[in-house]
Amino acid sequence: MGEPIIDVRDLRKTFRVTERQEGLAATLRSFVRRQRRDVNAVAGITFRIEAGEVVGFLGPNGAGKTTTLKVLSGLLYPTAGEAHVLGFVPWRRENAYLQQMTLLMGNRTQLVWDIPAADSFRVLQEIYGVPDESFRRTVGELTELLELQDLVHKPVRNLSLGERMKVEFAAGLIQSPRVAFLDEPTIGLDVSMQSRIRRFVAEYNRRTGATILLTSHYMDDVVALCRRVIVIHHGHLLYDGPLADLAERMAPYKIITATLRDGAAATIDLAAYGTVTGRDEGRVTLKVDRQGAPERAARLVNELGENLADISVEDPPIEEVIDRVFSEERVGTAT
Amino acid sequence: MIDVYRALFVGQIQAASQYRVQSVLWMLFSVIRPVIFLAAWVAVANAQGGRVASYDVRDFAAYYVALSLVSNLATSWNAYDFEFEVRMGRLSPKLLRPLHPIHYAVVENIVWKMTTIIPLLIVLGFVAVTFDARFRATPVHLVLFVPSVILGGSLAFLGGWVIATSAFWTTRVHAVSTLWDRAVFIFAGQIAPLALLPGALQTIALVLPFGYMRGVPAEILQGAVDVPTAMLLIAVQAIWVAIFYALLQVVWRVGVRQYTGVGA
Ligand SMILES: Nc1ncnc2c1ncn2[C@@H]1O[C@H](COP(=O)(O)OP(=O)(O)OP(=O)(O)O)[C@@H](O)[C@H]1O
Ligand SMILES: [Mg+2]
Repeated sequence: MGEPIIDVRDLRKTFRVTERQEGLAATLRSFVRRQRRDVNAVAGITFRIEAGEVVGFLGPNGAGKTTTLKVLSGLLYPTAGEAHVLGFVPWRRENAYLQQMTLLMGNRTQLVWDIPAADSFRVLQEIYGVPDESFRRTVGELTELLELQDLVHKPVRNLSLGERMKVEFAAGLIQSPRVAFLDEPTIGLDVSMQSRIRRFVAEYNRRTGATILLTSHYMDDVVALCRRVIVIHHGHLLYDGPLADLAERMAPYKIITATLRDGAAATIDLAAYGTVTGRDEGRVTLKVDRQGAPERAARLVNELGENLADISVEDPPIEEVIDRVFSEERVGTAT
Repeated sequence: MIDVYRALFVGQIQAASQYRVQSVLWMLFSVIRPVIFLAAWVAVANAQGGRVASYDVRDFAAYYVALSLVSNLATSWNAYDFEFEVRMGRLSPKLLRPLHPIHYAVVENIVWKMTTIIPLLIVLGFVAVTFDARFRATPVHLVLFVPSVILGGSLAFLGGWVIATSAFWTTRVHAVSTLWDRAVFIFAGQIAPLALLPGALQTIALVLPFGYMRGVPAEILQGAVDVPTAMLLIAVQAIWVAIFYALLQVVWRVGVRQYTGVGA
């Protein structure tokens, strides 16, 4: 392994918020002594990301994901800890760093509303000092991948949310960044636009080898794009490792789905094999202990014999695993 | 940098072309106030037998026509825009680009002035003829007017940005910038030519920066000051521009640190 592209050590960000209280007396008092409270948005996280990785950055609302991305992109000064991205300290905001990095936020816009995106691209080209030839190539590729042909010549404010997001993506990538921080890039988009963006991110990563750290509340994004995930909660790192192992480490159970032949479902008591979590006509889902899963499945096959039409053993759906992770406190990390 | 500016200009001209009508209406609106003051001074002068101190009716006309032109060229509305950008989080993406956010505002400012200058000159020509304005400017005055109005515009712009950066600390930028605008109104030569302000007020006006934004270039264009005085006033303008430039560097650095420290 070479030098990591993103190297974060014990990063912390504490926001000091002033509590505002209702009422005149409280307001007057606040002039003398303000009610301050510290919010530990990021409470000491450490991780490294290698060149070309696409890493999912997961956590419930308020976990500290956006704050971390803002620190790593250089928008926020951390309270403590270190971070290097491409060898730069992000919050120094050196031009050489800004030129190789992008921060895209699904709920923010950076385009000028009154002019067509194509003109904004030109301005960005000059700001980032992109040579004409690579500019043409980049815009050509982005136009093809995102199907922008008809969109870039309309004023941005006339675009739909999804169309605008595609154009925002293109604008954020004019400089061909080596590192991209994507904060909920598919938020608010319909299913097909989400998968379009997803395919784009995957293809972009494949073509350019850019390193991507992405947050999303849509597990489909994560499953489609990220082999590795970092999970944080209350500013602490909960898990860092392969997505495939997340279920194994975080959810100590598996799901057995058994389909019974007509009529059998009523007579057979499946509770003896595991916790029944769902029943739909002949289909029964059972939650079983992870270690014991193969043995239970074998027993089901043996004991039900002819009555069993179909059986499958699976990890619980990723949403369920994540939900389980979020509803617990620190579990420990895999490295 | 020239390429960056060219691109910014193209984009901004396009954006501005959609608001051409609004821009011109704004401009016309901004001419109304000086014309009202002109009419008031004309009335005063006529009541006193045709003059007030060294100004007769036709001098007032020339002064206010010149002032309207300068006010338009040296106006700056950054504080309001900037506060909006900070509040809406639109400053953040700009901070992550390798270009200081002030450059967008410079271009916006210049483009707005370009789109309004021709209708403005027509309107002012009309006012000048109606009130029979008498300009005493020599060709030297006209030459000196160019650096003077540029310095005045720069001073107003930089001052506006210094005020605008208060958005990094407070959400009540409007209060701060209203105060600033009031000071401009009183001391920049709107109420009366600086030369006609009563003693103490005139001294204050000459010490404060506001008169150097508008009143000074207007008096030079009108030809109300002799050439050596004009050069001296331009030198003072340059000093004020340097001071505000340095001040902006400092407040910007501290302010951005504050902004990005507490949450962008
Ligand atoms: N500028 C700020 N000032 C004060 N507190 C802040 C600020 N920004 C974020 N916080 C707080 O820090 C914590 C983490 O917020 P952050 O936006 O990083 O969460 P997130 O993981 O991105 O959540 P979401 O999934 O909802 O986007 C929250 O408790 C939030 O209220
Ligand atoms: Mg967030």
